[in-house]
Amino acid sequence: MISKLIYAILFTGGISCLLSCHKKEFLDQKPSSDLFVPSTLQDFQALLDNDTYMSETPVLGELSSDNFYLPYDFWQTLTPKEHNAYIWASDIYQGIGSVGDWNFPYQQVFYANVVLDGIKKVAITSGNAQTWNAIKGSALFIRAYAFYNVSQIFAPVYDKNTADDDLGIPLRLNPNVDEPTHRATVNQTYTQILSDLLEAKDLLPDSVPTANLNRPSKPAALALLARVYLSMQQYDKAWAYADGCLRLHGDLIDYNSLTGSPLPFNKSNKETLYQSKLLSSTDVLKGLVYKNCIVDSTLYQSYNTNDLRRSIFYTANTPINPKGSYNGSIFLFSGLATDEVYLIRAECSVRLGNRSAGMSDLNNLLQMRWKTNTYVAPTIDSDDTALNLILTERRKELPFRGLRWTDLRRLNKDGANITLTRQLNGQLYELKPNSSLYVLPIPPDVIQFSNIPQNNR
Amino acid sequence: MKKTTALILACLLVSVATLAQQFTFSKKNITIEELSNEIAKNTTYTLVYQSSYASRLKPVTIHVTNASLQQLLDEYFRSQPYTYKFINKIITLIPKESLPPASRLVNIKGKILNEQNEPVQGATIIVKGGTQQTETNENGEFTLFGINDEINLNIVITSVNYEPQEVNWQGEQELDIRLKQHISQLGQVSVVSTGYQKLARGNTPGSFTKIDNELLNRAVSTNILDRLDGVTSGLIFNKNTNLSNANLNQSPISIRGRSTIFANPNPLIVIDNFPYTGDVNNINPNDVDNITVLKDADAASIWGAYSGNGVIVITTKKGKYNQPLKLSFNSNITVTQKPDQYYLPFMNSSDFIDVEQYLVDSGFYKSLEVNPSHPLLSPAVEIMILKRDGKITESEANAQLDILRTQDKRKDIDKYFYRHGVNQQYALSASGGSGNNNYYFSVGYDKNLSTLERNEFNRITLTANNSFAWFKKKLELNTGIIFTASTQLNNNSGIINNITYPYAKVADDNGNPLIVYRDLRQSYKDAVAGPNQDTLLDWGFRPLEDLRNSDNSTKTNDYRINADVKYNIIKGLDLTALYSYNKGYTDLENYQNQQTYFTRNLINQFTQVESGVVTHHIPLGGILDETDNRYEAHNVRSQLNYSRLWSNSSNSKKHAINAIAGAEVRSYKTQRDDTRLYGYNKDLQTSTAVDYDHAFPLYYAPFITSRIDYRNRNKGTTDAYVSYYINAKYIFQSRYILSISARKDESNLFGVKANQKGVPLWSAGVSWDLSQENFYHVGWMPFLKVRATNGYNGNVDRSVSAFTTAQIDPGPNNWNIIPATIVNPPNPSLRWEKNHMTNLGVDFAAKNNIIEGSLEYYIRKGIDLIGKSPLDPTTGVTTFTGNSADMKGKGVDIIIHSRNINHNQFKWYSTFLFSHAEDKVTNYKVQQAQIWYYCDPGTLSPLTGRPLYSIYSFKWMGLNPLTGDPQGSLKDSVSSNYDAIYSSSDLANLKYIGPANPTFFGSLRNTFNWKQFELSFNITWKWGYYFRRSSINYYNLFNTQVGHPDYEKRWQHPGDEKTTSVPSRVYPANAERDAFYTYSDILVEKGDHIRLQDLQVSYNLNKSQYKALPVQALRIYLYANNIGIIWRANHYGIDPDYVNSMPNPRSIAAGVKLDF
Repeated sequence: MISKLIYAILFTGGISCLLSCHKKEFLDQKPSSDLFVPSTLQDFQALLDNDTYMSETPVLGELSSDNFYLPYDFWQTLTPKEHNAYIWASDIYQGIGSVGDWNFPYQQVFYANVVLDGIKKVAITSGNAQTWNAIKGSALFIRAYAFYNVSQIFAPVYDKNTADDDLGIPLRLNPNVDEPTHRATVNQTYTQILSDLLEAKDLLPDSVPTANLNRPSKPAALALLARVYLSMQQYDKAWAYADGCLRLHGDLIDYNSLTGSPLPFNKSNKETLYQSKLLSSTDVLKGLVYKNCIVDSTLYQSYNTNDLRRSIFYTANTPINPKGSYNGSIFLFSGLATDEVYLIRAECSVRLGNRSAGMSDLNNLLQMRWKTNTYVAPTIDSDDTALNLILTERRKELPFRGLRWTDLRRLNKDGANITLTRQLNGQLYELKPNSSLYVLPIPPDVIQFSNIPQNNR
Repeated sequence: MKKTTALILACLLVSVATLAQQFTFSKKNITIEELSNEIAKNTTYTLVYQSSYASRLKPVTIHVTNASLQQLLDEYFRSQPYTYKFINKIITLIPKESLPPASRLVNIKGKILNEQNEPVQGATIIVKGGTQQTETNENGEFTLFGINDEINLNIVITSVNYEPQEVNWQGEQELDIRLKQHISQLGQVSVVSTGYQKLARGNTPGSFTKIDNELLNRAVSTNILDRLDGVTSGLIFNKNTNLSNANLNQSPISIRGRSTIFANPNPLIVIDNFPYTGDVNNINPNDVDNITVLKDADAASIWGAYSGNGVIVITTKKGKYNQPLKLSFNSNITVTQKPDQYYLPFMNSSDFIDVEQYLVDSGFYKSLEVNPSHPLLSPAVEIMILKRDGKITESEANAQLDILRTQDKRKDIDKYFYRHGVNQQYALSASGGSGNNNYYFSVGYDKNLSTLERNEFNRITLTANNSFAWFKKKLELNTGIIFTASTQLNNNSGIINNITYPYAKVADDNGNPLIVYRDLRQSYKDAVAGPNQDTLLDWGFRPLEDLRNSDNSTKTNDYRINADVKYNIIKGLDLTALYSYNKGYTDLENYQNQQTYFTRNLINQFTQVESGVVTHHIPLGGILDETDNRYEAHNVRSQLNYSRLWSNSSNSKKHAINAIAGAEVRSYKTQRDDTRLYGYNKDLQTSTAVDYDHAFPLYYAPFITSRIDYRNRNKGTTDAYVSYYINAKYIFQSRYILSISARKDESNLFGVKANQKGVPLWSAGVSWDLSQENFYHVGWMPFLKVRATNGYNGNVDRSVSAFTTAQIDPGPNNWNIIPATIVNPPNPSLRWEKNHMTNLGVDFAAKNNIIEGSLEYYIRKGIDLIGKSPLDPTTGVTTFTGNSADMKGKGVDIIIHSRNINHNQFKWYSTFLFSHAEDKVTNYKVQQAQIWYYCDPGTLSPLTGRPLYSIYSFKWMGLNPLTGDPQGSLKDSVSSNYDAIYSSSDLANLKYIGPANPTFFGSLRNTFNWKQFELSFNITWKWGYYFRRSSINYYNLFNTQVGHPDYEKRWQHPGDEKTTSVPSRVYPANAERDAFYTYSDILVEKGDHIRLQDLQVSYNLNKSQYKALPVQALRIYLYANNIGIIWRANHYGIDPDYVNSMPNPRSIAAGVKLDF
């Protein structure tokens, strides 16, 4: 009897042992084939390829700019954010949080940080070095791009005299969600953006990946550096990076080669360096479908009848609606493209005293925009005329790309003295140059959870 | 397991004289009275004698030391004219001279079985009018020794839980007696199964509800779980739910309310020994013997981390040893009414057309008319536009509109899409056994023609259960193979949402399919895709044609193979090893041929014409969608069972231990493969490649580009569990029971560190049978027992993880690369959810079981529940999911069985069930940014201090008497600022009305028996909850064509506000105004109702009663279900179980069951 008992215990003991021997492997099985803990280069690339999140950029600046106007009855139906941003109200959210203009860029920062944190644990070998560098460079680029986009809406324009005191934006540099949020200074904000980009430009590949324009490249990083320095009014640096970019990738599309279809541009066109779009959730600016976004008539009238942009950027119906550019869809392109870089180089050349180089860039660009053999290079007799012409053409070349707001901020800082006005149902609204309203309020949920200081409007 | 059970039974029932006291005694001239007092004082025995006997007993002088009661009695009665006898705890006197001489005596042998042919142990057999009595042994056998061989000797058999029976002995060698069980389910010997062991109900303090075979077979259904509805204490079917909305995480069945927010809300379903992971529709109800529901921590904690929502244990039928072949055939047919098309609120065509005219006049369609994407306009609007533009005359237009006004789409839908349902069920089984082998084989066939035209369900089930025993049953092997194959046709979705306007007609008077406008303007479709066009296919949507062309089926194959070995090592100790393998395939095939609107529409959208060249980017031909689901589960368990009963020679001390300990491993894998083939030819089974990479301009809106939907994906999941458990019960004197249980579960819960993978859970319980105590003298209530249990169950939320977790996206990004999304930020402190439950219970039975029942009170707490917390969006994550929430619940379950009339020919029994279950979220970190979320039926918005599913509303302050605008309350003042109310974040502007799920529910079942007839009906009720009725929403009416008959009651003139609460019609519609009204408390109704659920009539014949019967037993039955509501609190004729859907239609079933 006792021996039987021993056998029994041995038997159950044996089974338990058998279990425990393989237990670890058994319990380490992946519960779902589509779930993973990101740890390989391939995983990181897949996260960065998530263009649902990565391609969105803030729209508040464009909503507050002067490229378009809205009919009164349509304006009344807008969400509080869109409704109030249009008239530069001091509180625009009316307590409603979850603001994409803030959340999308910081989600991009989170993804980039997950990648930057994880890639440290992947050893660099001769076989993977190129990919490793490209992924790290992409993550840095994406983080810098997001920080820059947020800073243009929620932080004051860069002023080297006050940049150490002005409140910038929160700079989250690791993926830990439990760390508190602080606002950095404007100087720290730009320093971080620039250092990320300077590191990224040396890691990213030299060529623009035409088939995957959601992926950053060295020309894109250089173009972004040029854009950032231009916004900081540091024209020498802006010129140098614009020049560096165009040396690697300087293609322009001859608009004469485009068809008259509603969507003339292919999203993989040769001018685009990096694809992103203005917040797709807003319907205000989808002029192809919603006919309530009406192009500012002065802007529209400023295009010569031989200027192809008149029919390529805008619809033929009355009133005129914007079609957008370079996105190949009803959404508005807000990424980086060579036309912008030419205009940066042109503007900086003139500001730096090289008027002829600047005019030559402008003329080269406009040659491609007008009907063949109709463009005549203007005769320019002063730097101011040249600069004004370049800035006018800049506005005509880059409408509805989210760039106008930053231009208004920096040009007013520079003394341009541009006052914006809106008229709705007989009421007039005004945005004075250098107004504190040029810095938009931080969303209420962010303030509630982080207790960071709100912008003073 | 059987032996264990037998032992437990034995220790409960064997009423052997147990002598508690040792007597040391020295006294002179003791009278019978003094002796009686002495026994009563020192033992639990009573000496009973007739007073006439006392005078014939002489006083005796007794000197004893450490004597037992028997020795004492022997001493006393040595020289008396009487002797004594124990009958249970009663000592009776027998005259010595009446003992008949040995020569005239015979022995009567017999065997007592219950209706399931199981031996009844411990039954008392008394010779009527005589003094002889005995009890049955564990095989149900008895022998009455030395019986006077008289004619017409009657013996009476009694046993707890069985009806007493009187048998006339006519000199048979061996009596074979069947006992009929009490209707009682509370009885002491009722056996419940936990999936790990079978327990006598009386031997556990836990909370179990058992549904026996008789009760299961009272109802007729294809699905076994449906038969629990309305007859199971503490278990409710949640009817007014939206199970298709995964965000709401609702469960179709709850046991004792709710204890989790985001984790699995469903009870665990166990078949025999192991969890069943397949579709419960694969189980043939005819193969089920009984169902046990485990409700409290003691009952369920043996299932550890899967038991948080209770456990439903299904026990299938098995053969029995030593039983001749028994064939059984059951067949029934159920006819179901058409669902009531006219139940849901519906705006009549004429009103709808008036609204459309109003909108045309207001210019509502202006922008749609010029919209380059050609959005849909209804037929009436098209007529009105033609009239407006002068293309038809006013009288022509009115004539056309008047025709539309008379049409009603419900009439056509009822006629062409619905029919009477007919379900047929056939089941044949054979069972039996020899001394060392038994078997149960069955085959079942179900053929259901649904109430939806062209929908069907066919199922075949095959079952083979075998048991073998060797070495005097020391070694036992059980095997089971169950196979199910079913085919379901889903050709008719039943929801004709695509028919948006009420005056649609799907067929002409000859039944020919008619076009219903859909997606795009019909005038545009006709212009581009007319019969003379060869670019596009016909673009008309004809629902009736689609119904005829539909080819959508689901095929299921499911196997379950079980084997278990039991070896009896030493007395009381068994070792069992169990293995179960399940595998199932479900293949969904939806073939939409080129004649279906879906396919034609898609082909047309992707048609491109460039320089006269027509390209179909979606090739001509059909579209085949296939989804293959496979699952495979292995379960391995090894378990030691120990069961012993000890008693000393005098039985004064009796202990029993009943313990199990074991380990098990479970692995469950699923694989889902989706594919879509374009240009599919079903005959040749060929398809055509398409270009998924490029976006194409849509034919009807070339400025919109779209890629062809890529639907080919595969996904697999793997669940791995390792568990260890121990469960022990100690029973002392049959009246005190201590039960403890502990279990540890480990799983591959994603990313959690090894030491957090497991969760140890435990429970403890006690019970005390007061009625067995000496001091208990409540004659009218001979049975009273109290129970208390306390412990933890667990629950798993597999969607969260401790590490940053990403998920591969189902499809490529804009650049044709498959990206990934972060689904979970890191959460290193993630834990399993725990569920604490305390249960207090009382079981009681009145004399002769006239009333018996139980009352239970429980409190439960959900601890460490997965909840959402808001995060600063600057982190990149807006909500964080972790163990941040808690819940509380409490409730009562009462069961009362009564025998109102218990006459031989006529019986009336009642069963009354009453349950109360309420829950409350006690800790939840996220508050919605705007209060309307709490009113929105589509989001799960827990709020601390309220039930998880609650009805909230905006305060209703009547209609504005001047405008008919609805008025609400904002910061305690009357307000029509709907946007401010709606989007307020201040909870003070939100009114809590009450729970959305019934907090009280139960049933009253009356059963009448007259001769061979039985009639029973079940009345069920639910109360203590609320629902929101629908009303007119002008915004939805204008934009999505959803109307409501309340439109007729709308405010139109000042003064109307006194008689109506329906707001006035305004243009343009104000979505917030409508949402305010929709969510205001004027539209909240009480859900309380009483329903006559079902009625059953049967006629039973038995061969023992009618020798001429060609079969052993015959049962003919009728069963009517979903009979109707008797009373409801709301005055709108709304069935609170079906607020937004058509109620389950009435059905009637007729069937016959034959036992050969």
